[in-house]
Amino acid sequence: MTHPATRNTLYVEQAELLSQDEYADQQFHMRLHAPETATHARPGHFIHMQCDASLYMRRPMSIMRSNPKSKTIDVLYKVHGQGTDLLSKRNIGDKIDLIGPIGQSFKMKGYKKRPLLIGGGVGIPPMVFLAEHIKNTAKDISPLVIMGSEIPFPFKSRPSQIMLKEMPSDVIAAMPLLDDWGIPSRLTSLQDYPGCFHGYVTDLTRHWLDQLDKEQRNEVEIFSCGPTPMLKAVAQLAKEYALPCQVSLEEYMACAVGGCAGCTVLIETDKGPAMKRVCVDGPVFEAKSVIQFQE
Amino acid sequence: MTSLTEEDKKKLALDFCGLKFNSPLVLLSGCVGFGEEYTRINGFSNTDVGAICLKGTTLEPRLGNPPHRLSETYMGMLNAIGLQNPGSKIVVEDYLPDLDFTETRFIANLSGSTIEEYEAVTRIFDDSPIDAMEINISCPNVKEGGVAFGNDPEMSARVVEVCRKATKKPLITKLSPNQTDIAENARRCIEAGTDGFAVINTLMGMTIDINSRQPIIGNNQGGLSGPAIKPIALLKVHQVYQVAKQHNIPIIGQGGITTVEDAIEFIIAGATTVGIGTALFYEPLVCPKLNKGIVDYLDKHNLDNVSELVGTLKLHG
Ligand SMILES: Cc1cc2nc3c(=O)[nH]c(=O)nc-3n(C[C@H](O)[C@H](O)[C@H](O)COP(=O)(O)OP(=O)(O)OC[C@H]3O[C@@H](n4cnc5c(N)ncnc54)[C@H](O)[C@@H]3O)c2cc1C
Ligand SMILES: Cc1cc2nc3c(=O)[nH]c(=O)nc-3n(C[C@H](O)[C@H](O)[C@H](O)COP(=O)(O)O)c2cc1C
Ligand code: FES
Repeated sequence: MTHPATRNTLYVEQAELLSQDEYADQQFHMRLHAPETATHARPGHFIHMQCDASLYMRRPMSIMRSNPKSKTIDVLYKVHGQGTDLLSKRNIGDKIDLIGPIGQSFKMKGYKKRPLLIGGGVGIPPMVFLAEHIKNTAKDISPLVIMGSEIPFPFKSRPSQIMLKEMPSDVIAAMPLLDDWGIPSRLTSLQDYPGCFHGYVTDLTRHWLDQLDKEQRNEVEIFSCGPTPMLKAVAQLAKEYALPCQVSLEEYMACAVGGCAGCTVLIETDKGPAMKRVCVDGPVFEAKSVIQFQE
Repeated sequence: MTSLTEEDKKKLALDFCGLKFNSPLVLLSGCVGFGEEYTRINGFSNTDVGAICLKGTTLEPRLGNPPHRLSETYMGMLNAIGLQNPGSKIVVEDYLPDLDFTETRFIANLSGSTIEEYEAVTRIFDDSPIDAMEINISCPNVKEGGVAFGNDPEMSARVVEVCRKATKKPLITKLSPNQTDIAENARRCIEAGTDGFAVINTLMGMTIDINSRQPIIGNNQGGLSGPAIKPIALLKVHQVYQVAKQHNIPIIGQGGITTVEDAIEFIIAGATTVGIGTALFYEPLVCPKLNKGIVDYLDKHNLDNVSELVGTLKLHG
């Protein structure tokens, strides 16, 4: 008999920790040697990792970059509790047990011309992955990345080399990595960080959208990942401007392979409301289908 | 079965309620969806286990509980999924045809809010290729039925009795640890016609977020599983075995089994087969390791088949 196409699509790997760099407020950027995950990962995918063998449950983490040539993946995380604290204490050369790459990636067929990537806090990583993917696969597309954080950004921001006439002129801080790729980015925060927009990501997004003419606005498609209140605000903004919008959600997970139904969220489907698993039916969903964002 | 010689495979093969199992390992209900989810993992094979218990199924579809449905605890976790399932008709018509019955045995897990519902679900699965049915009278996460039946020997026996009348397929009764006299409950279920037992389901528990002062679980309370419950499960298996052995009724021992030693302890206590649930979340490729470890133990102790080890516990005088 024919078996489901989903068989053998996830890999358990003992990934060697190659580097782990610390940024402000206990944020860490790690690089892991994970050949299978690096080969098969797409933007929006995540891994389910054992922070430490002493901890029984794994932790889900987005993939920020994957390099099939060097067979490495990058993960960016903030210490939140016990698991991420143990993760931050792992040594270079340690083997970290992970499952990857998991989930439905962002749908990128037939890009609109102006993808707008909005990342908040630890929702920044998938946006970086998506930006890099667009750079590598769709040369004529010009994405814009807007990031928000209430703690110092997990990189040293610098004034952007890419001018954007639709942005306030003093909002100039950018993520260097993206700038070097030729992808414009702008940063927002309620803290007074130099060069950052003072406000929410949605405030800056609204400003930008309002500078576009109608035709340009029709070319916008939003991709977003971040804390739930931010995603809800993004979803409502997308609705207001009638823009397509995909969001990557978070929920507590046990198996991360679709087996336990522990990670579900209420999603509107053709057949009515259904509890969908964030791990394998998501984490990426159409914003308009996420019922908690409609209320 | 991956990486075992033909001779070694014979050591693990056994009979459970008249069904041929190629290993004493059983994947537990609620941890492996409807039988195919873990095959997403490269290296995972359904042929490595004797049987797979499907997610708890009711007559009508159920959305299940609101989030969060999970919460981590010391060496374990709470869950309150609330029996999310598409209803028995969809399971039989849409899910079972996609399962490869040459790879392992598939066991349905039946739930209901009333005795009539248990009976109706049993009839639907009776008319399907399913190999056996597990009566879940121990789900702690639904308001009606579930553990309310399982904690009362009289009610447990009535559920088993109606299911028994509705099918000739093997019936396994899944007992709750949340009751005072599990052995008495087991005795009543045997009288009512059960062919086997699953011991134990999860224990009820709670975790609290001290900042919001709310329970972490959306359902307020949930079922505790994983290594945290292992010693309790082991004692319950031992207690049920004292009754079950007199009637040759086999047990799927379960509750926190993660290592080879855990599995062997349960078999010694009286479990013919051992359930693997929460351990999969820790180590998805644990099954081939357990099979190999059990074979090594049998070799070391000059046993030809795993069934020779069942109930060989030597109690202190
Ligand atoms: C698909 C997905 C991608 C993610 N990507 C990232 C990322 O790139 N970087 C990053 O820093 N964080 C990310 N997270 C959140 C990250 O998983 C949590 O911060 C982490 O699990 C916290 O574990 P802890 O033990 O440190 O915290 P604790 O609060 O001690 O955790 C207790 C329990 O709750 C669970 N939990 C707590 N918060 C979350 C959460 N937000 N999501 C899921 N489970 C949670 C933990 O897994 C653990 O089981 C992601 C979550 C999901 C679902
Ligand atoms: C997420 C989850 C969902 C479960 N769902 C069911 C279920 O639907 N029906 C059932 O009989 N048991 C269910 N169980 C209980 C398990 O089948 C098993 O009896 C219990 O978890 C103890 O074994 P373990 O510690 O090895 O997981 C569930 C357990 C978990 C962790
Ligand atoms: S975490 Fe188990 S189904 Fe998603």
